Amino acid sequence: MGDARSAPDGVLVEAEALTRVYGEGETATVAVDGATFSVAEGEFLALIGQSGSGKSTLLNMLGLLDTPTRGTLRYRGQDVSGMDKLKRALLRNELIGFVFQFHHLLPEFTVLENVLMPALIAGSHAADVRERALETLELLGLSGLEGKNANQLSGGQKQRVAIARALLNRPAIVLADEPTGNLDTANTEAVYDLFRTINRELGTAFLIVTHDRTVAQRTDRIIEIRDGRIVGDVKNEFGRPARD
Amino acid sequence: MLPLKIALRFLRTSPVQSALIATGIAVGIATQVFVGSLITSLQASLVEQTIGSTPHVIVRAPDEAEPLKVTAAMLSVVQTDPRVEPGAVVPVRVTNALLTDGEDSATLALKGGDLGGLDAIYRLRERTVAGTVRLGKGDVVIGTTLAEKFSLAPGDSVALTLPDGSRRTLRVTAVVDLGAEAANERQAFVDADLPRSVLGWRSGEFAAIEAQILDPFDSTAVATDWRSRLRGVRVVEWQEQNADLLTALQSQASSSYMIQAFVLIAVALGIASTLAISAVQKTRQIGILKAMGMSDAQASRIFLWQAAALGLAGTAGGVALGYALLWGFSFAPVQFSIRPEPSFIALSASIGVAVSMASSIIPARRTSRVDPIEVIQGG
Ligand SMILES: Nc1ncnc2c1ncn2[C@@H]1O[C@H](COP(=O)(O)OP(=O)(O)OP(=O)(O)O)[C@@H](O)[C@H]1O
Ligand SMILES: [Mg+2]
Repeated sequence: MGDARSAPDGVLVEAEALTRVYGEGETATVAVDGATFSVAEGEFLALIGQSGSGKSTLLNMLGLLDTPTRGTLRYRGQDVSGMDKLKRALLRNELIGFVFQFHHLLPEFTVLENVLMPALIAGSHAADVRERALETLELLGLSGLEGKNANQLSGGQKQRVAIARALLNRPAIVLADEPTGNLDTANTEAVYDLFRTINRELGTAFLIVTHDRTVAQRTDRIIEIRDGRIVGDVKNEFGRPARD
Repeated sequence: MLPLKIALRFLRTSPVQSALIATGIAVGIATQVFVGSLITSLQASLVEQTIGSTPHVIVRAPDEAEPLKVTAAMLSVVQTDPRVEPGAVVPVRVTNALLTDGEDSATLALKGGDLGGLDAIYRLRERTVAGTVRLGKGDVVIGTTLAEKFSLAPGDSVALTLPDGSRRTLRVTAVVDLGAEAANERQAFVDADLPRSVLGWRSGEFAAIEAQILDPFDSTAVATDWRSRLRGVRVVEWQEQNADLLTALQSQASSSYMIQAFVLIAVALGIASTLAISAVQKTRQIGILKAMGMSDAQASRIFLWQAAALGLAGTAGGVALGYALLWGFSFAPVQFSIRPEPSFIALSASIGVAVSMASSIIPARRTSRVDPIEVIQGG
């Protein structure tokens, strides 16, 4: 059994017969049914499926927001499926970045403060991580906006701030649930380009939930889920952009 | 420190709500400080008025008309009791006198005794309004009300008719304020010999031994003690003679505690409901913070800090407001002055903060139950 915090070689996430049942008895819904797969360090993959197929449920379990009804989940070899709430919170803070359909910025705080939040939750001092936060904002093309209130930004800018926030603790994986669901085509393009750049430059793994086949086509691997079961898991040779 | 930072930011970004609740706490604490200080001072003043011009314990003869034969042994029992204020023991003789000035007349109670002892009990020097207290032969010390009524000043002469029919002219040496209207009108002090000659008593024969004790509320125990140690005397003390007053003071104190308790409950309910509303308003933020890895305990602390900040600000404002009210009240035409007691105010303030903190338990609990998944999936 390895330590989830230690440096990796290869496998980041391993899901084994991961199952999530909502409710009990007659009304029970099996939202995710025996999902088995693994994600390598630095991998860039898409999770596709129709509405109600169980994508968000699976993502929430991978994000340690929800616990599986059955099955096991390992991060870098460490079993996390039965972990208590507090340990899950700590690990989430350290290993996982979230990007959601809605930006979920804190309206009471500035852009910089929002981006700093994951580090502050981890107990860091703002002064120590400020530099990294500004770098991250720059990486996302948000330089100069750090002092603004989160409410004063456009939709695309807000989503990019949310991405910067997800990246601040340099997570091993970013879990993105329809991250461009609320954006127009141009902004959608920009967000995926950014994901790619970060994936390449920081080695962060990405698991992106999407309805959009054209988006999925641009990832390295596509997992398809139907009625809670994984029905397809294919490498996508065409997804990888041409290298220079 | 992050929960504190977030708490303060939440408070600052809803300034009207924060100001309202802090004001609510302030009004509650101010009421507490004002009512508490008022009642305490009023009670102290009532007790002071009652015993300020009365000896705490009096040793008399069993029969009012008979003199008390004061022996050295008897005096020593009283004087050597450690509960007695040193020097505040005096054998006295009492007689009535009629003061006439043309149409007007007044009945005086002349109390004759040694000046040192009388001063220790009645604090005559301290309470002198005019003149210098002296009780030589032919001297008299009178109260302020009498002095006003008959336009008497130190140096003036007063003509008195005594119960034996004799007439004496005494010289006023001082006018004193005995702290109570009735005493200021009727009570006068003379040397011990004047009543003796009027009554025809021998030396060693007195009306009573008067004594002042260090803690007035010891009087019952002291009296019981002396009753068993002194033969053939009657011992009376101020508490049994003022039982009605003491009962009244007690019920006044309990109604004051009731008022204070209800004010605190109202304050607690106010904070609790406002914080509960705030916790509902901030559900989304709490969910997001938790998704980013904030623990339940940390998230709950946000509301604890909010309560602490509101409690501190409100209490500080309340103490200031309470002092302002007391200051304003000092101009009111009442018989007593309010002395704010720092220890009582410190107690009120800490109760204020503690109540604020306690009322954050409900919102803090609610916060623990916020599930980030629910927050994240909705807009
Ligand atoms: N909290 C819940 N309680 C009961 N059933 C739930 C709950 N959340 C999800 N479900 C059910 O689980 C199944 C999977 O839901 P999930 O949200 O994972 O789908 P999804 O693939 O993310 O859909 P969409 O593309 O619409 O977001 C659905 O049938 C849904 O009704
Ligand atoms: Mg979904």
